[in-house]
Amino acid sequence: MHKGTSTKTWAFLMVSPFILCFILFWLAPMLLGVWVSLHNWNLSSGNNGFIGLQNYVDILTPGSLYNEAFMLALKNTLVFVVISVPPLVIIALGLALILDHLPAKLKPVFRTIYFVSYSISVTAVSAIFLWLFNENGGFINNLLVSMGILGKPINWLSEQPYAWVSVLIATVWWTIGFNMMLFINALDEVDPSLYEAADLDGANGFKKFIYITLPQIKHVAFFIIIMTVIASFNLYGQSRLITAGGPEQSTTTLTMSIQNTVFSMNQLGVGSSMAILMGIIMLLVTAAQYFMSYRKKEVN
Amino acid sequence: MKSFKWLVLLIASVLVLSACSGGDSASNKSKDGKIQISFINGFTGGDGAYMKKITDGFNASQDKYEIVESQEKEHYTKYKSGDYDLAVIHGNNLETYRLDGMIQDVGSLYEKAGLKESDFHNAGMDLAKLDGKLYGFPIDIHPLTMFYNKEFVNEAPKTYEDILKLNQELQAKNKDLYALGVPSTGLVEFYMLMIAAQNGVDLKDGNALNFAQPEFADALMTFHDMVWKDKVSPAGLGLDGEFKTFMKEAESGKAVQSAVALTGPWFYGAAKEKYGDNLGIAPIPQIGKQPAAYGNAHMLAVSASVKDEQVKEGIAEFVKYMFTPENLINWADGGQAPVHLKTIEKVTAEKDKYQIAYQNSLQFDSFVAPPQVYQYGEQIRDMNEKVFSKLVTTGNLTKEQLMKELESATKKAQQVAETQPK
Repeated sequence: MHKGTSTKTWAFLMVSPFILCFILFWLAPMLLGVWVSLHNWNLSSGNNGFIGLQNYVDILTPGSLYNEAFMLALKNTLVFVVISVPPLVIIALGLALILDHLPAKLKPVFRTIYFVSYSISVTAVSAIFLWLFNENGGFINNLLVSMGILGKPINWLSEQPYAWVSVLIATVWWTIGFNMMLFINALDEVDPSLYEAADLDGANGFKKFIYITLPQIKHVAFFIIIMTVIASFNLYGQSRLITAGGPEQSTTTLTMSIQNTVFSMNQLGVGSSMAILMGIIMLLVTAAQYFMSYRKKEVN
Repeated sequence: MKSFKWLVLLIASVLVLSACSGGDSASNKSKDGKIQISFINGFTGGDGAYMKKITDGFNASQDKYEIVESQEKEHYTKYKSGDYDLAVIHGNNLETYRLDGMIQDVGSLYEKAGLKESDFHNAGMDLAKLDGKLYGFPIDIHPLTMFYNKEFVNEAPKTYEDILKLNQELQAKNKDLYALGVPSTGLVEFYMLMIAAQNGVDLKDGNALNFAQPEFADALMTFHDMVWKDKVSPAGLGLDGEFKTFMKEAESGKAVQSAVALTGPWFYGAAKEKYGDNLGIAPIPQIGKQPAAYGNAHMLAVSASVKDEQVKEGIAEFVKYMFTPENLINWADGGQAPVHLKTIEKVTAEKDKYQIAYQNSLQFDSFVAPPQVYQYGEQIRDMNEKVFSKLVTTGNLTKEQLMKELESATKKAQQVAETQPK
């Protein structure tokens, strides 16, 4: 390999596909989104002129059509983030720990079993859970009523809090494999000598988990929490296909609301503004998580 | 200099992206020189094959034109963002597409195709005509339809009293058997508009829908009472509960079943497959004060971007081909009820073969069309997704509480109406 300019050229060539894709599929659409959000842009009639921050004002003005839609969807989305992130992280960690203690021959088998659901499309996942949670004669209700656990069937999909429970269970089943794999990789990186030393000191399993495992995987855990928060903010397919945003719009999420504003109401400008606001909120939540984690480290 | 390079790269990327969309309205030609007409519709269910029979038949008969058909689930989105000549628009969306400038007056195409308004049933023609001009060719009307299970009911109920009586008989046999199922979401728009029509309530108020009418609240309470007072329907039926309950089997208390379903004709295939000769079809019963049927319709509309005379000639040829009994009967074969009068005659002549099309054609004379307002679907969204659900799932709901919900839904409908292009 030549040095100097040639190396730089090679470096540029190697990195240019990434830069081009970054510009084409991230930077340009994002800038276009910001640009559109500053215009009265109708999907049917096109760009009707620059209006500055008016779309944002409309969304943030209480009582307006867009404000009600956005705030309701934001509230619903935050509910889902709060109820979904803990199980998606804790159960994934639990599964990873169980797999970590399995005999080497069994590990790949169970790793595949738990991960395979992640490869299924959201449409198929939703169809499965619709069948499972159907109120009238659905599998879960049939099972619980037959066993005498329930006196009468539960309206899993058309009554709260069951609708959220159904979406949550579907989401956990569908996506848990991804977080689990990340945790498994993190656990594999923990130095075995630390456990050996702890064994010599007579530490039990719980203490080893608290004082060795958790500190060793905390950076990966932090990354997983942030990624899970972002993924939960983007809830769309499950709530659209399993509960259709109901009952009474209580599972209508931000992404659904934005999609409706753009494609049903034709308000591309307002929809883009909603998307930008959603991005800012996600950024703030993520930054807060990062800040809290950073501050904790400083205190420690 | 470096920043200039990056700027050039950015602009080039944006240009590449923008090059991916858009197009002109000039006619396209196939390899064998036929003028291509792009046609998009949302017939992704079982009915798609029957429309394809019509378009394939047309293409086989032609040496000058070719219909390039796309059946897409999100066909409205694709139509808005794409470049299509011809589209199927629902009757309740026609006004929106007209006001958005997405479709054009097709009066001249009627002439080119040799069609007259009198070739169609008034119910269809009323939907196609806006401000005295024709904006579509009405293909069918799909009204709320009644299916009944002959195992439980010999004759279709005609009135609400019949439904009450049937329910008593069924409940006496098995506590899990009901007369019908009232869903909390799904086809509820058809239910609400049906009860409005049967009680003479006009929801259109200027360019917006006005739900906050005491007469409408009274009419809607019928569905609440069906579940909670008369108990002709089990409570807590979710999405498409009217059909799911009809298709379930009441076995040892694990599921409830209904003898009748007031539902969409598109469920015919599934119901026929399950019940065979035991499936009965009939016009919907009179639940309100007067007989009236409500439903939606499919219209063939021409994109506003179509300027090319050759393309227009091709569309006229296709329309001429489609609206002949021998070709449009394919659509009736798929379970839809055409509004083309000569096709209705053919359906009536073979009513056993085109059972559902025939039964639905009987509802045309009492058909009440969707109110023609801008963004109809958005104006009624709160009613569909929120109010009806509350109506049938809240046991102790009062008319006063319902009126508050109707006022809130009306306020939103008015706000949606204000987005109408000036």
